[in-house]
Amino acid sequence: MSVLKRLGFLRPAYWLPLAVLLVGLGILWSVTAKDSPYLLPPLAAVGEALAANPGFYLANAWATLAVALVGLAIGFVASFILAVLVSELPLARRAIMPIAVVLSVTPLVAIAPALVVAFGFGPEPKLIVTALICFFPILINVATGLRSVSPAVLQVFTTLHASRLEMLWHVRMPSALPYLFTALRVVFPLSIIGAVVAELSAPGAADGLGTVISVASSNNRLAVVYAAIFCLAIMGSVLLLIITAIEDRVLHWHESRQGATS
Amino acid sequence: MTLTSPAPTSTADSISIRGAVKIYGSAPSRHVALANVDVDIKRGQFVSIIGPSGCGKSTLLRLIAGLEEADAGTAEVFGVPPERACAAKMIGLVPQAPALLPWKDVLGNVSMPAKVNRRADKLRRRIHGHLERPAPDMLDLLSKAGLTDAVHKLPAQLSGGMQQRTAIVRAFGVQPDVLLMDEPFSALDEFTRESIQEQLLDIWDENKTTVVFVTHSVSEAVRLSDTVLVMSARPGRITASVDITLPRPRSQAMLKTAEFHHFEDVIRDHLQTAWQENPMTGSTPIPAGAAS
Ligand SMILES: Nc1ncnc2c1ncn2[C@@H]1O[C@H](COP(=O)(O)OP(=O)(O)OP(=O)(O)O)[C@@H](O)[C@H]1O
Ligand SMILES: [Mg+2]
Repeated sequence: MSVLKRLGFLRPAYWLPLAVLLVGLGILWSVTAKDSPYLLPPLAAVGEALAANPGFYLANAWATLAVALVGLAIGFVASFILAVLVSELPLARRAIMPIAVVLSVTPLVAIAPALVVAFGFGPEPKLIVTALICFFPILINVATGLRSVSPAVLQVFTTLHASRLEMLWHVRMPSALPYLFTALRVVFPLSIIGAVVAELSAPGAADGLGTVISVASSNNRLAVVYAAIFCLAIMGSVLLLIITAIEDRVLHWHESRQGATS
Repeated sequence: MTLTSPAPTSTADSISIRGAVKIYGSAPSRHVALANVDVDIKRGQFVSIIGPSGCGKSTLLRLIAGLEEADAGTAEVFGVPPERACAAKMIGLVPQAPALLPWKDVLGNVSMPAKVNRRADKLRRRIHGHLERPAPDMLDLLSKAGLTDAVHKLPAQLSGGMQQRTAIVRAFGVQPDVLLMDEPFSALDEFTRESIQEQLLDIWDENKTTVVFVTHSVSEAVRLSDTVLVMSARPGRITASVDITLPRPRSQAMLKTAEFHHFEDVIRDHLQTAWQENPMTGSTPIPAGAAS
């Protein structure tokens, strides 16, 4: 029974709609590419670009991924610490949260060029942009999550005279996990966007898929541009898959998962 | 022997609330949840609080638990302020909602109190009259509550009644001097309710716990209590205190006796008076006689 369920994706009902849509889009793409080669490169050319030099794409993908993940890690640590601070100290909350909300709706794409001017073409501006992009969704979600504990639970632990640290560790942090994962599902793919935006704004940068795209497009090499875009799409999807898999394991207790299992 | 007999005038051996006032909101929408409430509950007593919805029962319980600051008056639990009683883990709370941690299974939830505030035992020994007891076996308590099969289930996989029982076991587990229970059996069917009532009485008898029990069921109040406090709303106050002088243990058969019904009727009369003063919060009064 459960094996059948797990292999459910093998059934046509599962994959057929997607396959049909993909084939349709592929045909549409090919027709467009044939009519106006400056709009889209032929799919075959994109494939050839990838096949001719896989090491090139792999190396640049890795460069972008490294920036994305390190930036994400920095943003995560910083925002998590600030979220705890903000949820524990009402004064800090009133001071910081309005600024955080305003900054979170500011397009970071606009900040990237300024950071390149300030920090040069090294990894710093890229990491800062990526960290910043990941910072606010995590801060806002975790700060909300840490305060999402029901009053009745708080009452029980208050009568037990649990310390603030115990409350944070045993009650607030686990309560914030679903909120954290909501943020992470947004932020994991977003980190790649942050890295690429930073690379695009730093024209002298040495590597990364963003650099590949900006160089190739100024040389009119559309096939290479789309090959790089294809790599980025795959990277984003894989990151999303990874975080969703982790979430499934960590949040197995959550109501949203209880109906489906057992 | 004579040296150890308790001092008759001290409040050290009772939960004592003096002139408690609790007001919610300010000027335009002021709500007097408790108006000058006096309560005295001796150690080891089983006291129920009954009254119409919104009359301040939960508020009174929160006051004893130190979760609410009174606007006037004092609250003391066995001679110490509620906060100190909490610091010594003398108070076990079963709130109106089960309030379990959804990421912990039943065993994890009932073991939680032991993981926080570990200094409590030391404080406890210093408080006058405290009875020391060995730490209970949680699995044993869970089986007494009929939760053996649910030990490793998550709260989301439990029925409402099972969640309530888990919350009760969690409160029992700290071996509190005072057990504050806010409608703990409201989600149980009649027979489960009676069996859990019996277990509660057993534990109460065994441990000499003091129990303050909020309920909407008259027969439950009569069956369990030494004293039933009847409350009335707007403003919230205690309008009657009925001592239930029925002998213990109170068997199933006693529920059908005339004495039992007598106490039920007395409390029902008090409740009806309380209700007729405030038929429904905010609505027009219902003519006398129509409400029977
Ligand atoms: N935090 C609060 N803020 C404002 N008003 C409150 C608050 N808590 C309680 N009240 C008010 O105080 C009154 C008493 O509330 P309480 O919860 O003690 O009632 P109750 O007797 O427990 O009712 P029920 O039987 O429905 O649980 C209610 O009218 C309620 O509206
Ligand atoms: Mg209540």
